[in-house]
Amino acid sequence: MDFLNAIVALSNFVLIPAIAYGSQLALGALGVTLIYGILRFSNFAHGDTMAFGAMIAVMVTWWFQSMGLNFGPLPTALLALPFAILGTMVLVLITDRMVYKFYREQKAKPVILVIVSMGVMFIMNGLVRFIIGPNDQKFADGERFIISVRDFKAMTGLKEGLAIKTTQGITVVVAVICVALLFWFLNRTRTGKSMRAYSDNEDLALLSGINPERVVMYTWLIVAALATTAGVLYGLDKSFKPFVYFQLLLPIFASAIVGGLGSPVGAIAGGFVIAFSEVTITYAWKKVLVYLMPESLEPDGLVQLLSTDYKFAVSFVILIVVLLFKPTGLFKGKSV
Amino acid sequence: MSNGDYGDRGNKDASIANPRGSGEMRPSGGTGKEMNTHSAFLVGDSMTGGYGKSGPDILHDCTVAVDPGEIAVIVGPNGAGKSTAMKAVFGMLDLRQGSVRLDGEDITNLSPQDRVVKGMGFVPQTSNIFTSMTVEENLEMGAFIRRDDFTETMAQVYDLFPILREKRNQPAGELSGGQRQQVAVGRALMTKPKVLMLDEPTAGVSPIVMDELFDRIIEVSRTGIPILMVEQNARQALEIADKGYVLVQGRNAYTGTGKDLLADPEVRKSFLGG
Repeated sequence: MDFLNAIVALSNFVLIPAIAYGSQLALGALGVTLIYGILRFSNFAHGDTMAFGAMIAVMVTWWFQSMGLNFGPLPTALLALPFAILGTMVLVLITDRMVYKFYREQKAKPVILVIVSMGVMFIMNGLVRFIIGPNDQKFADGERFIISVRDFKAMTGLKEGLAIKTTQGITVVVAVICVALLFWFLNRTRTGKSMRAYSDNEDLALLSGINPERVVMYTWLIVAALATTAGVLYGLDKSFKPFVYFQLLLPIFASAIVGGLGSPVGAIAGGFVIAFSEVTITYAWKKVLVYLMPESLEPDGLVQLLSTDYKFAVSFVILIVVLLFKPTGLFKGKSV
Repeated sequence: MSNGDYGDRGNKDASIANPRGSGEMRPSGGTGKEMNTHSAFLVGDSMTGGYGKSGPDILHDCTVAVDPGEIAVIVGPNGAGKSTAMKAVFGMLDLRQGSVRLDGEDITNLSPQDRVVKGMGFVPQTSNIFTSMTVEENLEMGAFIRRDDFTETMAQVYDLFPILREKRNQPAGELSGGQRQQVAVGRALMTKPKVLMLDEPTAGVSPIVMDELFDRIIEVSRTGIPILMVEQNARQALEIADKGYVLVQGRNAYTGTGKDLLADPEVRKSFLGG
């Protein structure tokens, strides 16, 4: 019984939150890794692209709510998601036309594009805060739990409860659908293959008649969709606050680099590595250990390795370790 | 008007020299080099140019041409501008003079991509395959500009390079050097090009593989596609060549059929090691 309780406590506080967070990071890292593979620079504006997409979703959700439109037990934000994706697509395409295209035509070095993306980041950051303000916005509605603690206890008779939030369930389902669609697109369609070809060897892609501007456009469209989805899922699961998305940049980059920049599979693996490390290291293990250990060995303290305030330090340390010892990442990316 | 050291003095004396009506035109003997570009299918004609708008000229009045059913080979010492001549024909060099014509049409001002659409297939010397993609995907990408069904062409390429059929689902980057070159040539053949250009197809492969590659190239040429090729291994290349161009410092030094060049004592002495 104690063992089962330990597992339930572990799932409730570590596994389920980490899986949800990992899916959100994976979606974010996929966008970063696509831009890195095809436009060949690290897009620092990615976090704020996510914030922009989520912002549109929040506003459309409010509009729907004011009209009395809802999605039954699911959050209304899911209905708003397609509109948010369209809005973000327009934004990134305009940004590309106005900013990145100029540097592409000059054949600017990637590091210059990185700095450019920082400029774009500040502009987008300001734009979002200008439109919706810097404060927390709640926009999740619908059913709050798939399984609540009370139901679970009544169902199993265990002392520990297990809760699965609707947003966590939705996060995982939507992430799986997105990833499946993305991989189908990249591996099975002509356009997807041309994107991989362009990422692999730009000159040869040109010689094969692949239009680079077309490839870049599709990349931005896909990235906008991924970033918005990741942003909305994160906002639903936690809450929407522009500055938090800016901070998310670090774990997202860490995920992409741990997995291997330019490798989509790596981005997903990296997302989960980072999420699990962050959650396990900042979790207070006392509860689980109390169930597992004999009474004499029960810990007195919280057995928390790091306060949750320092969770970003975890991604940072992992990032540094990976860059020192395996700079190409787990899945042979291109970063060295 | 031979004045010599004496100025024009005596010539003005009309009593002994008649200045009226004498001719001034001088016929020239030509270059003495046969170029045979009159009927060429693809010709880079008297090309002069270098890299960049203001870079020094690398090619000087260089001409290369290839006819249907032929293999034309560009050979020459290191730094002679062999690959540069090839790039010039494909539109990757800033030409200051000269023209490139394909099937009688002037394509000097077309971009490399447009030349591919016009029917030129080009295999670069290095990074000529998509290493992270499978062999089959490489071929598919070669056929990117084609909107029609290209399974037949793919089957032809597989017939030409049977090893590729075996390895069709393997990433091209995992293949050996010779197999990679076959993928590269296969990729270029997927557009059904009217002319195929190979930039040192045997660079960096073992002699045995090299022989095999040459055999394959002859087979490709038998299908009727004219081939223009740059080669380091001058002797072997000239043996299979219908037409050879020896370049020296960006200029046409010797031109002739492969056999003629191999027999030419000058060429033998300077490029083939006696």
